[in-house]
Amino acid sequence: MRSIPVDEIVLGMEKALLEVNVRSPKPLRNQMMEVLATEQNEIAREMVSEILENYVIAEEQYLPLCQDTGMVMAEIEIGNTVIIEGGTLQEAVNEACRRAYHQGYFRKSIISDPLFGGNTGDNAPGVVFIRQVRGETLRISLFVKGGGCDNISTLWMMKPGSTPAEVERVILRALDKNAARACPPLVVGIGMGGNAANVMILASRAMARPLNTLHPDERYRRWEKKWKDDINKLGIGPQGVGGLITCLDVRIESAPCHIASFPVGMVCSCHVFRQIDREW
Amino acid sequence: MEERNEILLQAPLHGDDVLPLWAGDRVLFSGDMYVARDATHRRMMDDLESGKDLPFEVSNVLKRGLRVTIGKGERSKRVKNLLEKYSSIYGIACGGAAAYISQFVTRCQVLAYPELGTQALLRLFVQDFPLVVAYDAHGGDLFESGKIRYRRITLY
Repeated sequence: MRSIPVDEIVLGMEKALLEVNVRSPKPLRNQMMEVLATEQNEIAREMVSEILENYVIAEEQYLPLCQDTGMVMAEIEIGNTVIIEGGTLQEAVNEACRRAYHQGYFRKSIISDPLFGGNTGDNAPGVVFIRQVRGETLRISLFVKGGGCDNISTLWMMKPGSTPAEVERVILRALDKNAARACPPLVVGIGMGGNAANVMILASRAMARPLNTLHPDERYRRWEKKWKDDINKLGIGPQGVGGLITCLDVRIESAPCHIASFPVGMVCSCHVFRQIDREW
Repeated sequence: MEERNEILLQAPLHGDDVLPLWAGDRVLFSGDMYVARDATHRRMMDDLESGKDLPFEVSNVLKRGLRVTIGKGERSKRVKNLLEKYSSIYGIACGGAAAYISQFVTRCQVLAYPELGTQALLRLFVQDFPLVVAYDAHGGDLFESGKIRYRRITLY
């Protein structure tokens, strides 16, 4: 058995949250430079230049990259021999949110209930998904995502036996209608399989895959590439002003599913892709 | 590429000020700006329905006529029609570039509903705040025209 004090986890996540809200990761910067090099629409290029300048100002002046410092999501992989000492993982995430969002002067965007709740005042609680794996390691992937891009999340219960082309069509239609509201260029996460509840988590996990990583399955790599190219052909462009780049990346995660159903889920991230990993 | 103008706008605005603007134009806006989120609008609607007055500054602006609204992404057909009817424009700032945009804000003041926290009604004083006209007062729509120009796929 390996025991990890909860305070250590809180501290690690607190620092990670302070960093991820302010500093853009290098792969994202590089990718945005490429967007600027590719993009032909003058207005879109202006938007992308502002996005690039934003990275610099945020880091230099210690300001959040986006005013919407989001709801914190933690994807946790916990080894089967790990014991968390002194508290639960949900409590640890909440405490890290409280400390980081207070210390960083980040916006507090969480209300305690959608119908009847007021602002919790500390951006807690975060959303926590826990998976148990073999081993003695604790891995936490933190994701910060604003409301605008989460609002275009979609679930489809497709006909079993649907083809990749049919899945692509529903995705393209949804993005054609909604992408401009979600601050493109977007990172698009697609979940397929599992059941209705599970597929949205798959989509979310797919989206949170670190930038510049490839799908292990060659067949899915092909579809990821094709769907990305086709989304870009929609012409929506950065911030919806028209252009060649609407999508930075498409990522797919799939899982076994029932013979009578074919759930497909889509979860997107805006261009401020804020993801950070920590390990104990 | 069509010709685009870059225009300086200084609030307070008057009736004809936004008429020379076309979708796609770049605007540098200076003056007062009022900021209200979802809960703020809900609260103002509730106050109006229960016979209460809106905060002085807001009713003042509304009396003069709202000339510029700012946001990100598309608005509903209804809002578009209202913009045309009342000769107003809808401008977009670059979403998710808050640190950049904050450089143009010189002062910030809470006007009303401080209990709504981040959704309180604010007044910002801005200098050369960068905007792009998304909907102009003549029915022009940047999202639509931009998409048509760069579309390279058939969907339906």
